[in-house]
Amino acid sequence: MAIPTGTSFLSSLGGTAGISRARRMKNLLWWSACVLALALVVAPVVWILVSITAKAMANWQWTIFTQNSTGIGGGLLNTIVGTMVLTFGTGILAGFVGVGSGIFLAEFAPKNRFSAIMRGACETLSGIPSIVFGYCGYLALVVGLHWGYSLAPALIVLSLLVVPYIAKSTEIALQQVPVAYREGAEALGFTMPRTLRKIVLRPALPGILTGMILALAISVGETAPLLFTAGFSNSIPTGALVHEPIGYLTYATYTFYDEPVPAAQHLAADASFLLVVIVLGLILLTRLIVRLTQRYSPTRRDRQTRAMRRAAAAVASGTVAAGAGTATPGA
Amino acid sequence: MSDRLGEPSNTPLSSTDNVMSARDVSLGFGATTVMQDITVNFPRGSINALVGPSGSGKTTFLRSMNRLNDKVPGFWLRGEVCLDGHDLNGSDVDPLILRRKVGMVFQRPNPFPMSIMDNVVAGVRAHKMAKRSELRDIAETRLAEVGLWSHISDRLDDSPFRLSGGQQQLLCLARALAVEPEVLLLDEPTSSLDPRSTEAVEELVRRLTPELTVIIVTHNLDQARRLSDNTIFFYEGQLMETGPTPQLFDAPQRLETQRYLGGAVTVNGDN
Ligand SMILES: Nc1ncnc2c1ncn2[C@@H]1O[C@H](COP(=O)(O)OP(=O)(O)OP(=O)(O)O)[C@@H](O)[C@H]1O
Ligand SMILES: [Mg+2]
Repeated sequence: MAIPTGTSFLSSLGGTAGISRARRMKNLLWWSACVLALALVVAPVVWILVSITAKAMANWQWTIFTQNSTGIGGGLLNTIVGTMVLTFGTGILAGFVGVGSGIFLAEFAPKNRFSAIMRGACETLSGIPSIVFGYCGYLALVVGLHWGYSLAPALIVLSLLVVPYIAKSTEIALQQVPVAYREGAEALGFTMPRTLRKIVLRPALPGILTGMILALAISVGETAPLLFTAGFSNSIPTGALVHEPIGYLTYATYTFYDEPVPAAQHLAADASFLLVVIVLGLILLTRLIVRLTQRYSPTRRDRQTRAMRRAAAAVASGTVAAGAGTATPGA
Repeated sequence: MSDRLGEPSNTPLSSTDNVMSARDVSLGFGATTVMQDITVNFPRGSINALVGPSGSGKTTFLRSMNRLNDKVPGFWLRGEVCLDGHDLNGSDVDPLILRRKVGMVFQRPNPFPMSIMDNVVAGVRAHKMAKRSELRDIAETRLAEVGLWSHISDRLDDSPFRLSGGQQQLLCLARALAVEPEVLLLDEPTSSLDPRSTEAVEELVRRLTPELTVIIVTHNLDQARRLSDNTIFFYEGQLMETGPTPQLFDAPQRLETQRYLGGAVTVNGDN
């Protein structure tokens, strides 16, 4: 009874026409649309990378790494160090606060008004334009607390800016860890903190790092909030938290690009190039960490890392876009 | 050596020694009652099958035997669930220690995202039951116990997700056994496994008793029949009937039992 239906089904499968023309056309159309979409994403990335590199290389001088900036010339040493300090500091400050609140929201927060308020605050925070952060930081910290243009207000403002990203991605990453892991750990008599440390955090790490990398890329690339809080300085930061302005790479691009002096314009190009290099470096670092920590992920049934490559690529395009995008509204 | 249903010689209890028992237990979520007035004993060293239609509350009941429902919103329980005579919902009970004594294996294999070796000793580490240097031996012993050692002795550092589904479930059993529980709760442990792996799990369960007491939820009535000493039949939130497995299957007292388990007899005819 079932066999005749089976054969007729099979014979229709191997029928003379094969896949119909209409379906072939449809497939082709979809494929073209996908390729086009891909090209639209990839092309600008390639274009930015190539043009920035070409522009920087045309007048490349290694002395940018050894000399501080002077008014409209010199090197970039002080701004490189400044950007590193700002990024590193933000990473630590915002990392602790952001990952902490993400863990709290996902794991410990009682489902009540308190956590709802916290979530709402995070969302609002992420919607506030960065220039407003800068302005508020200026009013409250630079002027209000008499800190002057310096590292501390810059770190606080940058951290406030990126904490929502880190918190949100941490929360989502934790929520996506299969319940079966947690229940298995609970049934074995794991304490809650131990479950978090030994079982849950590791598979959530790629997601958390994605948020971190996005946050760091933003703080590398921000200009507006720093103009209001860090000011600018032509000397290498001494590490003082207050009363000492600090230089950073985006400032070099922002102020030097239309100076009439060629040396200044070259510095603007070099600074842009370095910004991109730093962001790419951050992405590579994430990929490395992901690779080293996800040996035992269920998505890795074989030794392949295709899924991870895809994830890293998504991160990469996202951050480059973010890093490139944030410079514009600041200027 | 004591008989499966007999009492171990070193315990002072009189008639039957029940490692776990439920007394007048009602439980549910919020306004709904899932189970009502359940009283049942689980003799030490026995294999007990919980059967009943879908939604009759078997999983909920099983999970409340090591307090896995504690954090489920709205969950409530009245009455007493006892381990060795102690109410395990009492304020003096540490749920972490309880869960070491009462292990659980779930329907879907759920190895942790860590190496096979680390999976086996995860609980041992959590409860600080052994020195670092002993962990490997423990892993070997437990993997051998569940019959996995010969297959994966050279893959201890491998990901557990490269094992087959059946092997993953055996690994989860090894993990649960490694903390030396008194009671093992199994929630449909073989429902996602092929007949061969199912047999391996059943064989293991037989070997583990009477040192261990097993409470197993199953929809496979044949499995209940061939594996268990006692069968507990849940129906619409009630404990409809319970007794030694042969008696329940061959001479059920209630009509509902007869109907439900009777289905198994006809299916049995096919084998
Ligand atoms: N977290 C929960 N919140 C509310 N109701 C729940 C919850 N978990 C289970 N229930 C309800 O409790 C009842 C019993 O569910 P349970 O999972 O214990 O049944 P079961 O006998 O294990 O079914 P199955 O054989 O399909 O696994 C069901 O009506 C279910 O909807
Ligand atoms: Mg169930």
